[in-house]
Amino acid sequence: MNRKLINIVLIVLALAIVVIIGKDFIGKKAGKNIENPYEYNVDEFRKVDSTAILYRETITFPVKVEEPKGIAISGKQIVVVSEKLILKYDYTGKELFHKDIPDTANCVTVDANNEIWVGTLHSVDLFDQGGTLLKRWNSFGDRSVITSIAVSGENVYVADAGNRIVYHCNTNGQVLSRIGEKDEQKGVPGYIIPSPYFDLAVDDGGFLWVANTGRHSFENYNKDGSLRTSWGIASFKIEGFTGCCNPAQFAILADNSFITSEKGMPRIKLYDQHGVFKGVVASPAMFANGWYAPDIAIDADQRVVALDFDRKQVRIFEKK
Amino acid sequence: MSDRKEPKSMERRRFIRSGMQMALAVSLGGVASVSFIKSTSKDLVWQIDPFKCVQCGRCATECIMTPSAVKCVHSFNLCGYCDLCGGYLKPDPNARSTAAENQLCPTAAINRRYIEEPYFEYVIDEKLCIGCAKCVAGCTSFGNGSLHLQIRHDRCKNCNECAIARVCPADAFQRVPRNTPYLIKGGFTKGGTSKDQLKKG
Repeated sequence: MNRKLINIVLIVLALAIVVIIGKDFIGKKAGKNIENPYEYNVDEFRKVDSTAILYRETITFPVKVEEPKGIAISGKQIVVVSEKLILKYDYTGKELFHKDIPDTANCVTVDANNEIWVGTLHSVDLFDQGGTLLKRWNSFGDRSVITSIAVSGENVYVADAGNRIVYHCNTNGQVLSRIGEKDEQKGVPGYIIPSPYFDLAVDDGGFLWVANTGRHSFENYNKDGSLRTSWGIASFKIEGFTGCCNPAQFAILADNSFITSEKGMPRIKLYDQHGVFKGVVASPAMFANGWYAPDIAIDADQRVVALDFDRKQVRIFEKK
Repeated sequence: MSDRKEPKSMERRRFIRSGMQMALAVSLGGVASVSFIKSTSKDLVWQIDPFKCVQCGRCATECIMTPSAVKCVHSFNLCGYCDLCGGYLKPDPNARSTAAENQLCPTAAINRRYIEEPYFEYVIDEKLCIGCAKCVAGCTSFGNGSLHLQIRHDRCKNCNECAIARVCPADAFQRVPRNTPYLIKGGFTKGGTSKDQLKKG
């Protein structure tokens, strides 16, 4: 009797062990969603109050290139550069033309004459509206990483993330001055650029604005390179900039307010000309699983035209 | 004609000398061969592809070793030396300081050292690191991705069926040759091995 009972208990125990091992084996298999006790969770900061969202997405279309690099507006057309191409689209997403370019593009801007300025790793190339190469500047050196260009009349400003400097040039590529070098007398703190995200733009008055990403701030310069003003706040919260290198991209509206774009937790926001947070253009939820900061441009109707690098899409946002 | 014969003691000495020379040559040859075979061996060991890793936390919980043989390593040449470090500080910390309440690492395994305004250096204390990848997630999301996980081969038992590899949701575990056992970011890049292909965070 006793032996029978022991056998039954042993069989039950053996079955229980098999079930536990099997459950463990199947339950933990690769691909199963298991709770991570060490999860890095920023969901709290991804949430945005719907009343703070001031824009809505109205147009979206794909860009059929391997690696899009930058976006700009040329009249009623959208210019996109990829590593080896200049492409033009209309607002329906129809590709108007594409043209090979000799160097690997990093960024793009379009001037008042609709000529296309393309920043490559070490230099700047100028193309006409049809994508024909007009000029190629001399190299800024092997350490240079050109990340942004802004053109204002005869002044061309070039952001070099590698050398952490902004070059003020004429249209022929002659360097007129170097802006942003640490200079206590001029009150310039110097650029902290931990990664190749270093954007600049010129406002309505022709003054240069530079995103000093390591300091999470915007800096505004006089023509002589002295610091005019700055603003910015480092914070995970919606009104601030976080991470190593934000705001990664920005553009200035006609009323001198700012549209900013961040990486890590992609979000596009609106600030007034004094740096006061006004609202959200696109919340992190609109870039689910995204990481890259969309490049942004402003069109004639003051719409925000974003190049979503994760989805490889042009996404256009209009004020509600 | 003199038939001079060497004394017996001389013959013995020569025999011992040549014997020792022979033994030395054989042992040196043996050591060299073993080293050569080891260095060109096709033996494989487990390693994590840092570009596939999704920081799921299983390296900390599934390894048969306690603490895990997986540790965080730091590619200093990729690091931005940021004050507001996503790998060191909790999201939205009270202050950018070394206070425990501000640290992201559950075991305080990262040391933050001031270099010069506004740069800080971050060094992993491997004795404390449990391979949870929380800092890796922070650095990958909000930094340059210089912090990443690697299996440390002075701790790894190189199990035939790695307990972590079995449950890794990203298929980031792979066998690599024993003579090149690490896949460190910077020297090893996504989709290739080119050093100049510096990839964004």
